[in-house]
Amino acid sequence: MKKQYLYVLLIGALLLSACGAKAPAEGVTEITVMQWGSPEELTVWQTITEEFQKVNPNIKVNVEVSDWDTYWTKVDTLFAAQTPPDIFAIDAPFYIDWQSRGALLNLQPYIDQTPGFLDGLYPKSLEVYHLDDGYYGLPRDFQTIVLFYNKDMFDAAGLEYPNDSWTYDDLRTAAKALTLDKDGDGKTDQYGFNYDTWDLEPGWGEVIWSYGGEIVSDDYTKTLLGEPKAMAGWQLLYDMMMVDKSIPDPIAAGEFGSDPFLAGIAAMTPMGHWAVPEYSTGGFNMDVAPLPKGPAGDRFTSVNSAGFVIAKDSKAPDAAWEFIKYATSEDAQKKLTELGFAIPVYQKVAESDVFLKQAAPINHQVFLDAIEYAKIKPSFKGYTEWSDVVGNALALIWSGEISLEEGIAALVVEADAVLNK
Amino acid sequence: MADTTIPGIKPLGKEKFWLGILLTPTVIGLVFGVLGSIVATIVLSFVQWDLIQPPTWVGFQNFIDLFTNTKFIKAMTTTITFAGLYVPGVVVISLFVALLMNRKIRGISIFRTIYFLPGVTSAVATAIVWNMIYGRDTGILNYIIEFFGGQPVCWLCNENALIAVVIVNIWGAIGEGMIIFLAGLQSVPRDYYEAATVDGAGNIQKFFHITLPLITPAIFFQTLITTINAFQAYEYVYMLTRRAGGESSVPVVVYSIYRNAFNYFNYGGASAQAIELAFIVIILMALYFWFERRFVVYD
Repeated sequence: MKKQYLYVLLIGALLLSACGAKAPAEGVTEITVMQWGSPEELTVWQTITEEFQKVNPNIKVNVEVSDWDTYWTKVDTLFAAQTPPDIFAIDAPFYIDWQSRGALLNLQPYIDQTPGFLDGLYPKSLEVYHLDDGYYGLPRDFQTIVLFYNKDMFDAAGLEYPNDSWTYDDLRTAAKALTLDKDGDGKTDQYGFNYDTWDLEPGWGEVIWSYGGEIVSDDYTKTLLGEPKAMAGWQLLYDMMMVDKSIPDPIAAGEFGSDPFLAGIAAMTPMGHWAVPEYSTGGFNMDVAPLPKGPAGDRFTSVNSAGFVIAKDSKAPDAAWEFIKYATSEDAQKKLTELGFAIPVYQKVAESDVFLKQAAPINHQVFLDAIEYAKIKPSFKGYTEWSDVVGNALALIWSGEISLEEGIAALVVEADAVLNK
Repeated sequence: MADTTIPGIKPLGKEKFWLGILLTPTVIGLVFGVLGSIVATIVLSFVQWDLIQPPTWVGFQNFIDLFTNTKFIKAMTTTITFAGLYVPGVVVISLFVALLMNRKIRGISIFRTIYFLPGVTSAVATAIVWNMIYGRDTGILNYIIEFFGGQPVCWLCNENALIAVVIVNIWGAIGEGMIIFLAGLQSVPRDYYEAATVDGAGNIQKFFHITLPLITPAIFFQTLITTINAFQAYEYVYMLTRRAGGESSVPVVVYSIYRNAFNYFNYGGASAQAIELAFIVIILMALYFWFERRFVVYD
């Protein structure tokens, strides 16, 4: 019988030890920083964190990095359990969704205590975070969309590289010339152009703007994608895919791992700087040019940022603020830039050799020039659901199930229903 | 219910103590994990909640909204159509395979293993292989069709996608169905067949008059399990028909629930969808048990 009680004791001890919590060391504040990203990004953030802890020995930072999909599930779950991460990264289009639910801490009091703090940052990268009563988040890095092109394909076709005088008509002509059936089996082996047919950035949003159209009304109650000027932009994309066949339809694109430019079968694509490290491994020579001008001579691209926010219920908002302050400092921004993914929000770093003379042999200045003619990617409540409805409606057009006019008309009705929920 | 306890298995004094100790973890898991989440889902379906702001009571509004939610209606239609094709497909084909496998030939266990393989392979990995088979421009299936002079087909395009996905799901489920049916077939006494042979019955007569009636319990069980699986099917469907942005051209209810909860901050709506799905499955189960009392033969 004695042996039995010993077992019970053992099981009990195991259960207890599983429930036990670590007590933090005295005088040290622990904060958690959550981000999405790759293992390389985790390594860089760990170095940034180590530097930060040297300057702030009283703060211990736990950095957690997960991939995009699981990241949001994790953040949601932690909020539901009322143990939100102190700091978490946010994609600007989702910012309002979180802010409007009262999840985020207003950073304005902290910013007021740090005079001149925002001076070094790109004003355009700040705009989306600035609300009537101040900032509830700050950008960490940002992206502009430019035209990537495969130099080898242009050379082989004897065509001139894209330049800043191009209009979308020039793009269409070149794309047609670059669409080839090399082995004569009746199937296209090389496409002139490719873009992500799903999201407005990078791809169709910039085209709609350049044709003089708009995406949503300023008060976010109306989807304007069916207005005549926007329709002219859609028509270009439709004709390129359906008439010229210089853009692969989504099924064809999917067979090349979803990015035909990376797969080396598309000659041009609108894309952000985040793709540079991956594209550099594609085994082709590439460079970048500004996106073409629209019919009226206007040129537009989009700018979107990733930022940091502090949870309203954070137990250590002061320590969290110190970390955000450090993340936007020159030192941290330099390290972040060396990753090669994004444009730093710290203007001096962006305009220095750290950004402009990166390993990838492309004209990085084009990304900075684009800031001037960039519009901010829309951010509003319910963005994800709106974006899904729009993407699903567009998918029916590109699969040829429905005409462009009917498809866009249905899209506007469904998208407006989400906006007016 | 009849008392079927075998005397030797009835726990006695000291054993009862251990029974309690050893079952405790499972019982705790069931009570908090399963029962707890069922209760939570029911409560959540009557509120509007985005995880952060306090939930607000909305009564039956979440359920009423489902009737006008075009995305949900499409997902429900897809799921029901899927189940309508998938359940009979799995039951008939796995019974057929089990009949083929129910004989004494050399290497039979190798064949059985091959049929069972999809069940133990990662769904994501097999879906990638099926993508290579179904591909419109680069797929193996179209290559074969074109080799014999046919026109290439877009297997994963909208009108064909559902069928293509059902085929993959059936393929993945044959192995487990075969095991159930093999067990059923092997419990049919051999002398019934011998008697039938003496009476001059052919193979087809034997199947319809002896085998089929005697394996009705296995058919019943398999139909039940397959129906539940059909309403939960998701991995193959999503991997084969996903679009950029995380949507799918063959939307199923399970995925709609996930999207509403984790992507649209709509926990109330997601719970209402989950309950409606469960409700449909429960009705089907009730129907099945009604059929069971009439048609299933236990000897």
